[in-house]
Amino acid sequence: MEYKIDAAGKDLRNLSSEIRKALQNGISKIIIENASQIHGIASGLKDGEIIINGDVGDYAATLNDGAFITINGSAGKYLADNMTKGLVIVNGDADYGCGVYCYGGEIVVKGNAGDFLGALNKGATIIVSGDVGDYVGIYMVGGEIIIIGSVGENIGDWFIRGTIFIGGEYESVGHNCKEVSIENEDIKKLRQYFNKFNINADPRRFRKLVPISARPFYGR
Amino acid sequence: MPITGAYCVTMDKERCISWKMPWKCSTCVEVCPNSVFSVDEVGRAYVSNDLACVGCRICIEYCPNNVIHIRSAEPERFTRGIWTFQTIDEIHYKAQTGKYILRGYGAMGPLPHFDDLIIVPAQLHPPSPRDKYREDCKIEVTIGEGKVEEPLKLKIPIIFAAMSYGAISREAKMALALAAAKLGTAVSTGEGGSFPEEFYLAHGFKDEENFRNSRKNYEPGGYLIVQWASGRWGVSLDYLLRSDAIEIKIGQGAKPGMGGHLLGEKVTEEIAKIRGIPIGTDCLSPATHYDILNVEEDLKKQIKILRDVTDYKKPIIVKLGPGRVYKDVKIAAEAGADAIAIDGSQGGTGTSPERAIQDAGIPTIGLIRPAVKALQDLKLREEVKLIIMGGIRNGADVVKALALGADCVAVGSAALIAMGCRVCTQCLRGKCPYGITAQDLELRKRLQPEKAAEKLVNFMKAIVDEVKMLTMLSGHDDIRQLSREDLRALNINTAAITGVKLIGY
Repeated sequence: MEYKIDAAGKDLRNLSSEIRKALQNGISKIIIENASQIHGIASGLKDGEIIINGDVGDYAATLNDGAFITINGSAGKYLADNMTKGLVIVNGDADYGCGVYCYGGEIVVKGNAGDFLGALNKGATIIVSGDVGDYVGIYMVGGEIIIIGSVGENIGDWFIRGTIFIGGEYESVGHNCKEVSIENEDIKKLRQYFNKFNINADPRRFRKLVPISARPFYGR
Repeated sequence: MPITGAYCVTMDKERCISWKMPWKCSTCVEVCPNSVFSVDEVGRAYVSNDLACVGCRICIEYCPNNVIHIRSAEPERFTRGIWTFQTIDEIHYKAQTGKYILRGYGAMGPLPHFDDLIIVPAQLHPPSPRDKYREDCKIEVTIGEGKVEEPLKLKIPIIFAAMSYGAISREAKMALALAAAKLGTAVSTGEGGSFPEEFYLAHGFKDEENFRNSRKNYEPGGYLIVQWASGRWGVSLDYLLRSDAIEIKIGQGAKPGMGGHLLGEKVTEEIAKIRGIPIGTDCLSPATHYDILNVEEDLKKQIKILRDVTDYKKPIIVKLGPGRVYKDVKIAAEAGADAIAIDGSQGGTGTSPERAIQDAGIPTIGLIRPAVKALQDLKLREEVKLIIMGGIRNGADVVKALALGADCVAVGSAALIAMGCRVCTQCLRGKCPYGITAQDLELRKRLQPEKAAEKLVNFMKAIVDEVKMLTMLSGHDDIRQLSREDLRALNINTAAITGVKLIGY
């Protein structure tokens, strides 16, 4: 069952209350229009499918814990902050801090993304079809970041676990980050993701970045 | 790193069981986690390496015949001017390793503290003193009243400060939660996430089954504050939903401007799982939140979103380290916090660089005046509660903090000491002989949550009694009546720092 919400003139509290009420009433698909002024839209949801037509503000899909959220526009800062489960797809760009602190779930940005993509990622898979800014995967402790385009400076700065795959060029790696050769298993996995999210890329040309040490600070 | 040779360890062999009956006792060898003692080839215990002694005194505690003596090598500190034993050792350590020193606990030494203030008793001039033994004194505090649907209604003006699971053991966390339930106060998870027992115990239930059936085991039941810190370890939607309040940790007294430190030695399988990190890695939180990069704007938005995902029920606390207090408090209050907690430099830690502890941050008594001023300037003094922490040891410290303007205080280090800690400051190594900050299973067995909770309850009841006594001898029957007029400063510096009149005035 589908339910439409026009968010024009609504604040976060009103909108969230309407979304939660609809989900409680068994509605499985909610379509939201005119929500660009709202920060934190579709946050803290455990289930349901949410489609947002147009751009969204900052902190969209924060603490997502199982919902499937599609944004047909661009997202502001800190998209899917601290997500644990679920899927967030952005058919546009995402500003800086996309996918910070995520424990799990998947994020797919079909456009470009800003700096600090996947900072402190702990287990999510974050895919960006376009280019990305600096400090991708800073302090990351798990999960995967896959970038089809090019990346800026200091990738994987001080990360200690997880993998970053890059299809294009990158300017520099950060501390405790090194490039290693991509393996057949990686290529297979990337191909699966590309098929799943309908991304046109050849996984064989990707480069793989991993941490140098799991204890780079006081373990020296 | 412990200071080598800071203690002289001796044994009275005349009375030592193992010297009378070889092989019959080696308790000191067994309990010491630092291998200070050994057993010789004929079965007698002896001091084999007192250079490794950290002064934890576990050997004394366990020795059945009380034959061990530990003396501090303190006098040497006074013989070489600024080149104290400690300084020399620190330089040697740096020269040998290329690393700086890490330790636990907060700033030590001659810093301004609550001892520099004195409470003024009431006599003839009104108000007249109240009778502590026969009259009542109001000590309850509510956080979030009128702002959220489920405010924290604390039975006492003292909560347990944030100490993470990792920094302290599971048993110590359980003891704190249980004590909070018995006292009707709050305990904070710290930044390492939480485990189910902590939640049940804090609310007064011994297990999940009793919680489900609403069968309370411990009255009146307390509150669990969950921390939302810069590493976001163990944080999920469920973690927030099961909490009673959310504490956004910006900083900490013992390492202001730095993130949390948990060394790899303490990152066990369970802690690694809760935090989402590899086993044995150093878990260092970033200095800033990577989702509050544009501070003033983002903090405001984040508080709104945390309220929204928890259905506007729970108070939001912003916890600050001791920095530019006036401006920091203003930003936190304007962002919409229900309470602001500030940790002074005497506030403890499990691990922090020695120089960050000693040489950065403001001592606790220096925090309250600018914090109060910031709230007054914003006309939010009543609305936003002020929680002060950092070296609170007794009821007098509590009353002095309240009189300076705090609404509530938090104790951390004192709670650890109440459980048995002897302040050896080696919490980072995971070998706490009392099982309080240990992660080693054998050492953890030495701390029994029920017994430790009993000590915490006793300690807190005693200091609450002191709070009542000192409030009432000042002529008040409600802690909210305390003011700076109830205090005098013992020296000019303290008067200047706190705005309290100097004695003699």
